[in-house]
Amino acid sequence: MSLTIDSTRFGQIEVDPESVVEFPHGMIGFESRRFALVAREPDADFLWLHSLEDPALALPVTDPRRFFGAYEVELADEERERLGLPQLTATDIYVTVRASDQLEGFTANLRAPIVISAGQGHQVINQAAEAPLRAPLFGELAEAATNAAGRAA
Amino acid sequence: MLIITRRPGEKIVLGDDITVTVMEVSGQTVRLGIDAPKSLPIYREEIWAAVKQENEAAARAGDMPALPKTAARDAPSRS
Repeated sequence: MSLTIDSTRFGQIEVDPESVVEFPHGMIGFESRRFALVAREPDADFLWLHSLEDPALALPVTDPRRFFGAYEVELADEERERLGLPQLTATDIYVTVRASDQLEGFTANLRAPIVISAGQGHQVINQAAEAPLRAPLFGELAEAATNAAGRAA
Repeated sequence: MLIITRRPGEKIVLGDDITVTVMEVSGQTVRLGIDAPKSLPIYREEIWAAVKQENEAAARAGDMPALPKTAARDAPSRS
């Protein structure tokens, strides 16, 4: 059995019911509470958190470990328990991605990761010191482009 | 906007189940204690606004361009 989304972006797409994530508190700025984690292709770098309630609402997300090997989420135990989350090592963690015309401009929000456990999602505020709102996803590419321009000059 | 003057130790009650206590006032800093139902998310306003802006910016992506398949894997991890 599968669910169908009439997506503004992608047209009609089938999603696995197992990919449905309920956000009991929603996500900041949106009214939707039910989303599906949609992969457009196997092993995609970016997934879409697609609303099941608003056909036009979808956010690109990624597994931060693909880009930021040392990334850590710190959450006060009290906050974790308040949200009913297990230890973070037992959860799936994604970060939203802000797209850009060029790869160098892509950023990920490491400050407010999305923690998913047992079909429930929460966007939490990461207490870790090194967790920028806009971390360049391809920082090395940006540096390389700058260096190449420098050499060419 | 409703404006209420309070002293340290005094409280404000919002509805039946939210209490805000002025814990301490020190120079430019006020420490507040908030008792609210678990289901109510509480944020510092500047973080709430910044995350809202990032979420909305993320949702404006038309489609993710096809990335060079190796881009993510080749990106050195930041340690």
